[in-house]
Amino acid sequence: MHLLTDPLQFAFFNRALIAVVLVSVLCALVGAWVVLRGLSYIGDAMSHAVFPGIVGAFLTGGNLLLGALIAAVLTALGIGAVGRQSGLKQDSAIGIVFVGMFALGIVMLSRAPTFTTDLSNFLIGNPLGVTPADLWGALAVTLVVGGFLTVIQKELLLASFDPTEARAVGLPVRRLESLLLILIGLVVVLTVQLVGTTLSVSLLITSSAAARLLARNLKKMMMLAALLGTAGGVTGLYISYYANTAPGATIVLVNTAIFLAALAFRRE
Amino acid sequence: MLGVENLTVKYGLQTALENATVRFEAGTFSAIIGPNGAGKSTLLKTLVGLLPDHADAVRFDPGHSARSCISYVPQQQTLDWAFPVTVWDVAMMGRTGRLGWLHWPGRQDRQIVEGALKETGVYDLRSRHIGALSGGQRQRVLLARMLARQGHLLLLDEPLTGVDAATQETLMALLRAQADRGRAVVMVTHDLEQARRWCDHLILVNRRVIADGTPEQVYTTQNIEATFSTSFLGHTHAEA
Repeated sequence: MHLLTDPLQFAFFNRALIAVVLVSVLCALVGAWVVLRGLSYIGDAMSHAVFPGIVGAFLTGGNLLLGALIAAVLTALGIGAVGRQSGLKQDSAIGIVFVGMFALGIVMLSRAPTFTTDLSNFLIGNPLGVTPADLWGALAVTLVVGGFLTVIQKELLLASFDPTEARAVGLPVRRLESLLLILIGLVVVLTVQLVGTTLSVSLLITSSAAARLLARNLKKMMMLAALLGTAGGVTGLYISYYANTAPGATIVLVNTAIFLAALAFRRE
Repeated sequence: MLGVENLTVKYGLQTALENATVRFEAGTFSAIIGPNGAGKSTLLKTLVGLLPDHADAVRFDPGHSARSCISYVPQQQTLDWAFPVTVWDVAMMGRTGRLGWLHWPGRQDRQIVEGALKETGVYDLRSRHIGALSGGQRQRVLLARMLARQGHLLLLDEPLTGVDAATQETLMALLRAQADRGRAVVMVTHDLEQARRWCDHLILVNRRVIADGTPEQVYTTQNIEATFSTSFLGHTHAEA
């Protein structure tokens, strides 16, 4: 029992636990759509592309969420514009935009006086450094994104399952996708705090992918993803506490293990 | 009720459809027939509004528009049947276009969906995941969604493909009944025999409209040869 309660005497550990739970719920809500629409690559791109927004906000003392949101909107529009103007396939457009944005972030950060420690924080993340203000921010984003997704759920469902019918009945399929990209960008900002940009796509999709293997409908899939994400996050935090490993990466590893277990145990 | 006038569609240098003019009337069950690559799906996609560049060739009668009245049933294999939705969920998607933004399905919508599932004979399967269904059952679910949408104009892309013989009969009888109730039913198919048995309007297509009329008018050896053999010649010509 001490094994479980010992770390709880530290406020930073409790905050990390709450953050992990909140972000797992948020990732389950958004990640389901990312997995179902085959947007995982875009999710990965987004997680890198919001980097300059975060760095810019960090350097100017602005709000990180706002910085990332601006970068996310610019990226979502940029991917569309590059694709249209150049006639290249979408994956090339995504590749060009996200690597360019990421490089911009690193160049901006290299101008900062305390370059190395900050960079590693952004790239790897640190759930144990979550502040109370971060938690309130995470709660607000979870509520906003959750509300948005509830409101447009039936449209997203049709556009994801059968885009042809969705266009036939007059749904703005492309705009729905851009909106999803922006929401992904918002979620990424919160996951960056925990696991850094390089690993954040794992939180976004791994639990949802595992849940998809097991769930029969969307609601169950989202609930299961939230549950698996929470379990993986909490387990990962404890393991990192005792094994003295990088917490973000440990959480990602536990999530990966859960996915592999789901793969092995799924009903045929 | 709806038609296209002088529709020409090109994909790159390849002409999919040239100068096609057809009309579909309420109360009629029409079949668009032709070999692969004949432009059947192109014609259907234009009607549905999926080729916006060609929207000006589409003619709706006053009081109708694509969004208000079309129910579209895509080819089964274009959908992801591992998607985490149940039979009921898919049928309920038929209500999405009717409900509009910020409206949620109410009791009336649930009754409509229930009726549609019963009519197509898959109500007992309503809680099943769609991945657990046979090809025939999947097609019935798509038809239930189409019915739930309550469109006046039903467009179906290859509804008989991947469907067992018994279900084919049920599907055709159901579509026939929809036409008899005053709806315009249009299906794309390469099954000439089924079309001839059930439809009262056949259109033979092979990159242009070869024949258009009642089965008696259209079903001649000459027309059928023109439809199915020029495709072969056309191919060798295109490849040469």
